Amino acid sequence: MKKILALILALALAVTAFACAAPAAAPAATEAPVEAAATEAPAEPVVEEGFNPASEVTLNFPCIWVGTDSKAAVFGEMVTAFNTEYAGRAKVVIEEQTDYQAYRDKIRTMLSAGQAPDLFSVDGTFKLADLAGSGKLMDFTPYLTDSDWSALYNDGALADATVDGKIIAIPFESAVFGIYYNTELLANAGYTEFPKTYDELFTMADALKAQGVIAFPLMTGENAWSSMLWYSQILLAIGGPDVYKNGLDDPAFVQAAEVLKKMFDYTSSDAVGAGAAVVNGHFLNFEAAVYTNGPWFLPRFAKEGINDLGTKVKFALPPEYVGGKGTYGGLAGTVQAYLCAGVQTDADKAAAVVEFYKFINQPEWLYKLAESSGAMFAVKLESNTNDIQVKQDLLAAANSAPYIVKHFNDSMPTAIGNALPAALDELVLGTVDAQGFVDLLKAAGQ
Amino acid sequence: MKPTKKDRLGMALFMTPALVLFVLFFLIPVCYVLIVSLFQWNGMSAASFVGVKNYFTIWKDPVFRRSVLNNVIWALVAACVQVPLSVLMALILNRKPRGWKFFRTVYFFPQVISGIALAMLWSAMYNSEYGLINGFLHLIGKGELAINWLGTLNTALPALLIYWVFYIGYYMVIVMSDLSGVDRDFYEAAEIDGASKIQQAWFISLPMVKSSILTCMTLAAVMGLRQFEQVYLLTNGGPANRTSTMVLYLYKQIQNTRYGPANAASVMLICVGVIVILGIRALFQIERKRRK
Amino acid sequence: MTKQKHATYLNRGDALKAGLGGILKWILLIYFALYTLFPLIWLFISSFKTNTELFADPFSLPAVWQISNYINALKVSGLIKMMGNSILIGGLSTVLNVLCASMLAYCLSRFRFRGRETIFTFFAAGILVPLNALMVPYFVIISKIGLYDTHAGLILLYSAIGIPMSTFIIRGLMDSLSREIEEAAYIDGCGFFGRYFRIILPLSRNGLVTAATFQFLTCWNEFVFANLLTSSQNVRTIQLGIRYFTNQFSTDFVSMYAAIVISIVPSIVGYMIFQKQIVSGLTSGAVKG
Repeated sequence: MKKILALILALALAVTAFACAAPAAAPAATEAPVEAAATEAPAEPVVEEGFNPASEVTLNFPCIWVGTDSKAAVFGEMVTAFNTEYAGRAKVVIEEQTDYQAYRDKIRTMLSAGQAPDLFSVDGTFKLADLAGSGKLMDFTPYLTDSDWSALYNDGALADATVDGKIIAIPFESAVFGIYYNTELLANAGYTEFPKTYDELFTMADALKAQGVIAFPLMTGENAWSSMLWYSQILLAIGGPDVYKNGLDDPAFVQAAEVLKKMFDYTSSDAVGAGAAVVNGHFLNFEAAVYTNGPWFLPRFAKEGINDLGTKVKFALPPEYVGGKGTYGGLAGTVQAYLCAGVQTDADKAAAVVEFYKFINQPEWLYKLAESSGAMFAVKLESNTNDIQVKQDLLAAANSAPYIVKHFNDSMPTAIGNALPAALDELVLGTVDAQGFVDLLKAAGQ
Repeated sequence: MKPTKKDRLGMALFMTPALVLFVLFFLIPVCYVLIVSLFQWNGMSAASFVGVKNYFTIWKDPVFRRSVLNNVIWALVAACVQVPLSVLMALILNRKPRGWKFFRTVYFFPQVISGIALAMLWSAMYNSEYGLINGFLHLIGKGELAINWLGTLNTALPALLIYWVFYIGYYMVIVMSDLSGVDRDFYEAAEIDGASKIQQAWFISLPMVKSSILTCMTLAAVMGLRQFEQVYLLTNGGPANRTSTMVLYLYKQIQNTRYGPANAASVMLICVGVIVILGIRALFQIERKRRK
Repeated sequence: MTKQKHATYLNRGDALKAGLGGILKWILLIYFALYTLFPLIWLFISSFKTNTELFADPFSLPAVWQISNYINALKVSGLIKMMGNSILIGGLSTVLNVLCASMLAYCLSRFRFRGRETIFTFFAAGILVPLNALMVPYFVIISKIGLYDTHAGLILLYSAIGIPMSTFIIRGLMDSLSREIEEAAYIDGCGFFGRYFRIILPLSRNGLVTAATFQFLTCWNEFVFANLLTSSQNVRTIQLGIRYFTNQFSTDFVSMYAAIVISIVPSIVGYMIFQKQIVSGLTSGAVKG
């Protein structure tokens, strides 16, 4: 028995040792993967005229715009249209990814395992510099430089996706965050106009509170989304558009934390630990008066709100902070999705990726996609008079905004954004003050 | 018994499939985890070797230490409250009261429902605005006690533990399946001797199912140490990381793209776990020897 | 074994105690039944509400019973197919898992040999391995052996990740089987395999069914690796179907609940059938002593 056991064990160890070498190679591969990527990239990139691969190219696409996503229907049409037009030449195969957290995990896992999908999208929780460092991403620079394609984009959109001179992602869905308020609840509290400064905002919040209304539905659960957006707006109002330049040492972060903490005096009792569904529930159920979120949410006021909420919601600009460096009208925004592609060794495949991304970025398609879902895009689009009023107001405000600065989580390293909910708990529950809150964030970044 | 030569051949044959799967899906991955725990790596860019630094980093992190403590609390509550409750109910059901089949099936239902539904229900129960618990407090005129149960520093962890400790189906099934093997004649003999039901349970049933109680306690401790899903879904570790657990901690480190500390946390979890398992086994062994 | 005690049977004190015990017993039985049924009932009722209602008051009855949630759930392309996949993957991996685990447990429980406890401790430690940390290695292993996006990949992985747990449960039960029957069989010339198949396996049937139940439920409820290791609808399992109602920005909870209700029907039916099996096994008589 001993011998057999020993044999099994030896075998096991051998397999282990052998197999360990494989995964170990991944982190141990310190030998400049970036250069490797450069050499692996397609030799002759520009295939502008005529895409005629030797055989049909198949591209896999773990895609989040499926299922109950508001973009699913039109996006599905786009993919079908592409597959029809390129029949026999290229085919995009959609892998449905509905759970967003699981999707992020999958993409991260695949990149860590060294196998980027052919096509995929990322949001701000992935830092483009990290992605570039993996050496697994296709470089779009040759296809975008001085092309008709790059002319489609809003100013600065492509620069934003450039790391070390390479465009490693195509900005796709963008967003600007406005403030939305329930006119009926405000009227009950004696307000017909939305306040222009934070002082006035808090005076109004007192009036709302007296009516038994939640002024601001906030949350510290999940990624603390609504609170993070307010924090971003307050930061801009206090510190101006350059507030992120000096990192967390800027005193604006402490001051903004004080304002945010005060907002929690006017929120629901379940705010600590609440998720987005709770926050949305309060606003849709006429329990809360002032709301912030991205444009994708706007159609839901009418669809899910009670008492004809859709007709009673109005858009407002975030208030100004008296004595702050911000300009009234400045907004927080984000790129909600970048399109990326795994680096391709096969030139046909690389060309197919470009064909597909060009196809889905055609303004005509995006116009349709925006209309159906409320979303905004990095590609410049005509204004659409069919849009609901709040969306038109938001777009008008975005067009005339003195600046649109990415929100807090986008502007900070991933670890700091992820530390925000817990730090906010501490701030709201009073275990730390505003300075302590910022210190917690700083510690998370180290 | 001692295996004969023929037995040894059979044993080799019988143990190989499980061992191969174990090596492929446990030993090798754990080796990977061990190796990565010695690197600083964001999962994408080049990794750099840092030795055991990650272990010190996470040990210095108060959130990790709290996670370890919370896990130990989970494990203790599971092993010392949940398992005894399960054994109690298994003993009651074993006497086949009216409708025992119904009860047994029903007690296991929560394991069948997806964890998401259970988490959603209890976060609604504990919610301060519309939760049933606060509703009940208002009803009995104790409205001043109504709080945000999962959002208050010192009630969040107890709230999680209390709702979860009564879902006993898992361990109850193990004990019951062991109990069902006990010969009815023993009880009949005891009955004739005039032993009460409680005495029968204490002196006949319990000693018979000692090994499955050991199994349950070990499993409960292990589940407590591995606790993730319900915490993730209900509080995500909050408020202020007060309900964090080791697995949640490592999952968050992965999301921070800090693979080194994440894997160091995994290694530490396995180490703590092995100590706990060996400890429980040793306790039972001592007890067995004492009885002999 | 039995502690002898001479007592006057049925004196008044005992009768009182028995009565109190009876009441306590029923309080416990009913309390636990309500406690465990509550989530199911809540889920069922909630699955007929609108999302807005759900978040206005999670414990009210729906104003209008929304059958549309169930229509939404059934409209999910391939929910039934996904259920079929789950049954197939869960079933096969359960068989494979329980077979491997019981063979190992038999060796560990019925024989004394060097390294026995070491192997067992290794396996027990396996229960502790946090699977969340193994996403990258599992992805690499399954891809390397060419089983990415196949039923076989998930079956193999699920069988493997359940082995420590199953071994633990089955061994626990095998340990409590009497030595005498086995030794008698040995003297009668029953070999290694004969004892396993004819004595130990039938006697530890309850343990096998318990382990199998847990294993099947683990597979049925597993989501992370089902999503990570598959890409085509052909292979995907029910948990992905349930997640169909969540997306980047929102979750349609009520339709998700409807999908969950639909998805737990087969597991509850399956569980009841399994339980019947155990019950019928009870009459087989004495195993221990």
